Amino acid sequence: MGNAFFVVWRESLEAFLIAGILYAWLKANDDSGQGRRALFLGLAAGAGLAMLLGWALLTVQDELTGEALDMFQTATLFVAAGLITQMVLWMHKHGRQMKARLHADLAAAAEKSGHLGVAVVAALAVAREGAETVIFLYGMAQEGDLSALLLGALAGFAGAGATAWLAAKSLARLNIGLLLRLSSILLLVLASALLISAIDRLLGAGWLPPLLDPVWDSSALLDDGTKAGKLIADFSGYRARPALTSLLAWATYWGVVIFAWRRSGRG
Amino acid sequence: MKHALHSVVFALFLASTAALADDMPTYKLTMKDGRFYPETLEVPALTRFRLEVKNEGPGATEFESLELKKELVLAPGVTRNLVFYPMKPGTYKFFDDFHPETGQGRIVAK
Repeated sequence: MGNAFFVVWRESLEAFLIAGILYAWLKANDDSGQGRRALFLGLAAGAGLAMLLGWALLTVQDELTGEALDMFQTATLFVAAGLITQMVLWMHKHGRQMKARLHADLAAAAEKSGHLGVAVVAALAVAREGAETVIFLYGMAQEGDLSALLLGALAGFAGAGATAWLAAKSLARLNIGLLLRLSSILLLVLASALLISAIDRLLGAGWLPPLLDPVWDSSALLDDGTKAGKLIADFSGYRARPALTSLLAWATYWGVVIFAWRRSGRG
Repeated sequence: MKHALHSVVFALFLASTAALADDMPTYKLTMKDGRFYPETLEVPALTRFRLEVKNEGPGATEFESLELKKELVLAPGVTRNLVFYPMKPGTYKFFDDFHPETGQGRIVAK
């Protein structure tokens, strides 16, 4: 049961955190409530997609399906990282005009470019983490003791929700300016972590050369093979033994983001 | 266009894995009761090899190594292959992400 709790908590946490931070951020940005509706629709769609993916992984288990699904997961990582970044930068640019312009203008603009992005990001986050949870729970269910499993899984799910809710709540308590800045940074850090996992997958499949691997070894300081280290690695993109390609991707990402942030702030 | 590009990339990927599949040393790794058998795999350094991972259950497992850049979820009863690119001599850790307490193993490249 302890294991079911931890795995479900960890698998759900990323999806919940993205949802929670998006929620806090939409609450400050979007008065109409449409963004939040899009968020919930996206979460529901993601849950459906996760079950579909889990079912596909369980029923069609040949090499080909495995590889096709791996590729799909890699693609979702890139899309989610790109969409989150684009949304944060878009809001940064238009957040400034919000004070100067009429609210109606902004609401119309946000509806066009923001809401679909919010829904897709939420759906992808849930689908990616959810598919693994579905397989894990299916496997556990075959072991027997269903009530302990159900209890552990539900507790883990609720725990992840509570963790994200607390994060969103404590963010929302800050003043709007600080909230926007902090939630934007958190979303960008999460997006960079997604990008690093996507690069890792390409390196692992041999699609990208690692160039130099590893560049350093900091596993004595913080080992990403342990429970806590893995958690930090998942949310920040930290690697104890990074390949040069990952480092370059990470540096390029932050270079582009900081450049775009400065430019949109000025314009 | 996007679809066509995707198909080409996919076909190339399949062709390359098929071409590689024949002349590669293969090592077997079994995951059972939340543990790896064997826990230490010895492989030649600087040589490409294939790892055949089998999950004998019960329960699903996830073979994962951040330093080896591998992540593979296996439903119970499933066997899948992973191709490893030539590694420098050294010890590389992997773990079962669904059983992190007991499922710890390492690859020693010599």
